[in-house]
Amino acid sequence: MDPFSAWLEATRISTTMRNMTWLWPACESIHFIGLALLIGGAGYFDLRLLGFMRRVPMAAAKAFMPWAITGFAMNFVTGTAFFVMAPHMYVLSAAWWAKVFFIVVAGMNAMLFETALGTRVLLLGPNEDTPTSFKIVGAVSLLSWFAVLFFGRMLPYIGTGN
Amino acid sequence: MAQFLHALQNSAFSAWVVGSESIWAYPMILTMHTVGLGIVVGAAVVVDLRLLGIAPAIPIDEIKRVFPIFWVGFFINLVSGLMLFVSEAEDKATQPVFLLKLLLIAIGVVVTGRIRRVLFGSGSMPTVAATAARTLAVSSLVAWGGAIVAGRLMAYLK
Repeated sequence: MDPFSAWLEATRISTTMRNMTWLWPACESIHFIGLALLIGGAGYFDLRLLGFMRRVPMAAAKAFMPWAITGFAMNFVTGTAFFVMAPHMYVLSAAWWAKVFFIVVAGMNAMLFETALGTRVLLLGPNEDTPTSFKIVGAVSLLSWFAVLFFGRMLPYIGTGN
Repeated sequence: MAQFLHALQNSAFSAWVVGSESIWAYPMILTMHTVGLGIVVGAAVVVDLRLLGIAPAIPIDEIKRVFPIFWVGFFINLVSGLMLFVSEAEDKATQPVFLLKLLLIAIGVVVTGRIRRVLFGSGSMPTVAATAARTLAVSSLVAWGGAIVAGRLMAYLK
């Protein structure tokens, strides 16, 4: 075990959490519900950004985003719990770092949209196709969240996870 | 039946799924199952939230377009689920939490079908009362959320 994981797993908080046998399964369940909220809420908006469902006003398509963010928050908290309980499964895992990379990509993509492209949303009329920049943001978002899901699920099988 | 399940679990296909060192066997099938889950429950959540009054600016008729996405995810999980089941047929067939998961999925499918028929089957205007729509939406969320939890607990309640 790497020194950082050895140190973290020896801490009181890590040991206490690990000793609550129901905690890990409970976190897993919440983590999966969170991913469904995230994929559903963000996925709907991403599809609209890609130009599907054009009769839906852009602002309305965004209305599920708070739920997507809630899902992300649930997963950030449970993900942190997993990390604190068993860092050795992640710190040297290629799959985990790939997952983190795609979370960062998805986050930066969202920030880019909010800061640089968000106001263009207001200029979009009903039934108009979306500009290419919107389509790219939507595609990057969908692909990165599914990549996050992929590498997350592959954690026990790729790299040194487990 | 017991013989059939035994034969499935000991089939060559099952041996490949479980025994193959390749990450493209069991791990990939499991991952596709999670992808499908994200799509199925994600789609269900969007429809259910709309029925509960979130995003009222989305015409009810437009939310219909989410159903094909739901069924794509469902198909992915039906196929991957069958592959996973075959590889451990004997064990899974008698695992209570797995049977509970199947029951919850069945309820979810029935409720989703009912939502589609009742809300959209009779033209573009929903004819069902608001409370019925809310009941269906909550039932859907509980069924699909329950299926997720039951699925997760399969690794712990053998």
